[in-house]
Parts: sequence; C-alpha cells; structure tokens
Amino acid sequence: MSLARRKFLQLLGLLGGPTLFLLVFFFGPLLIMVVYSFLTPGLYGGVDWIFSHLNYGRILGWADTRYEKFDPVFLSIFGRSLRLAALTVITSLLISYPAAFWISRMTPGRRDFAIFLVTLPFFVSLIVRLFAWVLILRPTGFLNQGLMGVGLTAQPIEFLYTDFAVILGMTYVFIPFMFLPLYGSIEKLDIAQIEASADLGATRFQTFRKVVLPATMPGIIGGAIITFIPALGNFIVPSVLGGAKVLMIGNLIEQQFLSARNWPFGSALAMLVMTAVLVLLVVQLRLARHGEH
Amino acid sequence: MKRTMTRTRLSLTTALIAAPFAASAEGQLSLYNWGDYINPAVLEAFTEETGIEVTMDTYGSNEEMLAKIQAGATGYDIVFPSVHMHDIMFQLGLLAKTDIGSAEGFDNIDPQFIRAKTDPEAEYCLPYAWGNVGIVYNKDLAGDIKGWEDFFALGEAGQKITLLDDLRETIGIGLIMNGNSVNSTDPAEVEAAADYVISHLDGVTAFTYDSVPQVISGDVAAAHWYVGANLFVSENPDTIGYIIPEEGATIYQEDICVLESAPNKENAIKFMKFYLKPEIAALNVEQQMNGTPNVPAQAMIPEAIATNLTIYPEQEVMDKLQIFEDLGRDLQLYNSEWTRIKTAQ
Repeated sequence: MSLARRKFLQLLGLLGGPTLFLLVFFFGPLLIMVVYSFLTPGLYGGVDWIFSHLNYGRILGWADTRYEKFDPVFLSIFGRSLRLAALTVITSLLISYPAAFWISRMTPGRRDFAIFLVTLPFFVSLIVRLFAWVLILRPTGFLNQGLMGVGLTAQPIEFLYTDFAVILGMTYVFIPFMFLPLYGSIEKLDIAQIEASADLGATRFQTFRKVVLPATMPGIIGGAIITFIPALGNFIVPSVLGGAKVLMIGNLIEQQFLSARNWPFGSALAMLVMTAVLVLLVVQLRLARHGEH
Repeated sequence: MKRTMTRTRLSLTTALIAAPFAASAEGQLSLYNWGDYINPAVLEAFTEETGIEVTMDTYGSNEEMLAKIQAGATGYDIVFPSVHMHDIMFQLGLLAKTDIGSAEGFDNIDPQFIRAKTDPEAEYCLPYAWGNVGIVYNKDLAGDIKGWEDFFALGEAGQKITLLDDLRETIGIGLIMNGNSVNSTDPAEVEAAADYVISHLDGVTAFTYDSVPQVISGDVAAAHWYVGANLFVSENPDTIGYIIPEEGATIYQEDICVLESAPNKENAIKFMKFYLKPEIAALNVEQQMNGTPNVPAQAMIPEAIATNLTIYPEQEVMDKLQIFEDLGRDLQLYNSEWTRIKTAQ
C-alpha cells in the first residue's frame, strides 16, 4: 500500500464517521427544510408537492393571494428577535466576563465547585426553572413582595410578560453557554502579560483594552455566537415569561407547525433564521482569520 | 388548547422520546391524551379489572397531536381528538374501525353527542367528554361579571385579564361579539373579529393557559378559560367563580379514537368498552368536572356537579354555544390574523 493511499484511508477512518453523521443529521434535515419552504401547505399539515415561492413572498413582499399575503409584521418579528437575542448576549457577557475572571483566580478546589454551580441548572428541567421565574416575577411574586416589603415601591411593578422578563429569562438560560467558552480563554490568560503591561506604564484601562481584551476575544466571540444562535430561535422563554405577547421568530415558526398547519411557511421562516445564523458564522470566521494575522 | 390544569411543554419532549420505545407486548395500552384530561382513578380501575398496564403521554393541542402522529410517532393506541380533529384524522386514514357503536352498552350514549360528520354510526370513535370555554374570575377584583363585555371592561378599567393562547378560541370571541359564526370563512368577518380582539387588548397581560393560579392569587382579575375551572372554584369558592359568557361561547367535545397504527388495538377496544360503563364515566366526571355523554352516568355524578349550570347548562344557554368545525385551508385566514393580534401591543 502506498503511503498516500494509507494516509487517505487513515483520514477516511478518522473523518468518515463525523462526515456521515453531519450529512445525515444536519444536511439531511436542512435539505428537507429547503425543499419544504418552496412547496404548498398540505390541507392537514405536511406538504403538497406543488412548487410555490409565496412562502418567501409573504415575508419579503410579493405575495398577495387569499391565504398568502405579504405582511411586514414577519420581518418586524424577526427584527425584534434579533434585538432581544443581541441584548441577551450583551447581558450574559456582562455577567459572565467578571464572573469568569473571578472564578479563574480561585483555588483549584473552589474553582471546580464554582464551575459545577454554573452548570448546575442543567440538572433541572428548563420548564420548571422558567415557571419558578413566573413565581418570582409576578405581581404577587417574591420580587414585588420583597420590594414592597422594604418600602422601595408602593405598587407592584410589571415584571412578568414584558420584554424585560424575556431578556432576563434568556440571559438566565444562556449564561452557562456564555460562561464556559469565556472561562476557557480567560483561564489561559497569562498573568505575566498583565504585569508586563503594568510595568511598562499602561493604565488599568489600557491594559484591559490592549492586552486582556484581545487575548480573551476568541472566548467572547465563541460565547456570543453560541448564545446568540439559540436565543434567536428560542420560543419557550417568550411563551412562558413573555406571555406569548412578546412574539419571537421561534414562536412564529412553532405556530406554523403546531397550530396553523402551515409547514412550508414555517420552513421558509426557519430558512430566514438559518440565513441570519450563516451570515453571522461567516463574519465570525472572517474575524477569527483577521485575529490570526 | 388545554382542558384542566397547567399545560407543560414537557409533554412535547416526553412524547418524542417515549413514543418509539412504547411496548407493543400484550398487556399494554398506550394513551396519548390532553394534559390532565382523565381521572387517574379510571386508569387504575381499568388496570385492576383487566391487568393491562396503561401508559400515557400528553399533548397541548389537537394540532400538536396531529403533527406528531403525521410525523410518524407510533406506539400510541388511543388518542382524544376534538370532534373536528376526529373528522380530519378519519379523512387522513389515521383511525381504526372499532365498531364501538354496536357494542353492548353503547345505548348509554346520548345520540346528540355523536357529532363527527365522518363517523355518524360511531363505527370508529366513542364520544368522551364535553364542556364549554368561558371566564374564570376573581370575585374581589372582577365583581359580578356576566360576559365578554364585562370581561373586557375590566381591562379598560386598568385590571389585568388573560386570553387563551389558542387562535380559534381567541378569534372566536371576536366572531361571537360581532354576531358571526365561530366557523366563519369570510376573510372580512375573520378580520373584523381580530379587530375586535385587538381593540380590546387593554389589560390583556398574556395569552396563556397558566391562568387559574394567577386568578386565585389576584395577579389577574379574570381569564378566558375552560369549564374545568370549576375544579378550582370548588376548592376556592369564596375567591373565584366561573361563568359561561351571556353573549355566547364555544363548546368542545373530545372523542376516544383508536389509531390505525395502534400496536394494541384489542386492548384499546377493551378500554373503550370499559369506558361505556356508567360508573366509570361518572368516576371521571367526579374529578374532571366536565360533561359526559353517558346518560346513566349523569345520575351517578355528585349532586354539586350535576346541578352546576356552568357544567350542565340549560337548553337555552346550550343553544348559544358553538362548536368548532374543521376549516380546511381557511384556517390560514385565522393564522395571519392571529399573528396580527399577537403583535398588536
């Protein structure tokens, strides 16, 4: 067996499994979505195999039939989802960044325990945790009782069923996603570099901006992406904490599949999300390459 | 849509995970039902009598159940579709013939409840339970309300109210208030109904099923909810009440159907026959507090339920209640208007 051939077989052995996995479980469903998004909805769910571009027309502006009408509301829901997901990324970054710093400077025993605490919520069902937030946020809930009890407010404040509740809920859910990549890059940060920067006369802010921030940027970008993507498509948090009034694109897609029996339109909306995510990943790739030079 | 207690989306996950592993061995029966829509004592009694083990997964809406079954979820024997979904599932060939209509004891069933157009002889499904969708309210906050007008007036007066997160029920209120059929397929009527709801969104804090605890705690003054609220009214008679709105409301009915793909068809038919027994139907009503089509059972249910006019309304009120029919393609009219309602605030 020639060396080249052996190398090829080795590669095939190593990469064949994952590639096949990706093809079957990622590109397969994706392809189904692409195809469905160009079909006509079946009367009782599913699809009829008749080509239609109107699913995109409803979103982007050229559909005008009895059932398929262009409505700018779809794009505005998408815009709102982008905004809420971005705010979620920012708040979870603001919380996770200092926390990761603090935890990375702990003694090893305490550090492991702290990381365990960060991942602890995964052990309890998401639904249960979100309903716990309902109990905290509602007008007669713990938060309002507490605020009124210490005399900070006279009336209950509307926390539940607002954008605030949705961002709070998503931040709460996605903090571990942000924290872990951040922690990975912050832990690797070389203290000697910070000391050197200080020795060379940089202010604390300069050190942070020129040394710490660039060194931890891969963690920030990684965490931001891995938080943004599921936040963008999330439908459980807006449904439980937003009272289904803070409609996000995920809720709209769920509605098409589970109550409106319009799978093709749901697929078209999903493609919209997918496109946004792909654009984001390309930007990240560019940024990462840029960082290497 | 859901029927009695707190809906949980866990059902979605458990159903997806559990379905492929559901056993098909003898002595098993797998139900796929609405959340909290059967008295567990009924299932225990069935197991005791027949030795058949019963497992159950739950869903939150007819459409969710249909989507799951269409997507190929197998392992379920019995589903509990609403009448219009019973028709749809029949047309899709998803239901198995059971000949329950000619079974011994079927004459217990009041014929007016054999509602499905596709199944006039009850050759497939057994009428299970029925009820109405009205308003549950907090007595201190809402006072003595009579109907939808009072309900929305609470919102205008600065109180909080909630609507169901269900496109047909909620647009249905608008149709009722405009004097149209809840099965309207006229785009102008559906749009006008959505406009009615949108113009009364003051005070609507959420579209949710999780409203009764909030009505009890006083977080919400009144909520669009199911007759099953009577269960909570009986526990908190001084705090909350339930009414059928005087302007009209919707009625629902579910049927017990056996799936064509059922792994345990014989056991499923045994369960249907078991449920024909008046004492079993009565046992279910005792906990569910809804209507049963089983006539002799009505004489066995607790007095408080039998005489509750919101559960067993007088004929005059019954005549104002409308049942949903399948709209086919025209459901899409509601779909678009529903998005408009949900983004109006």
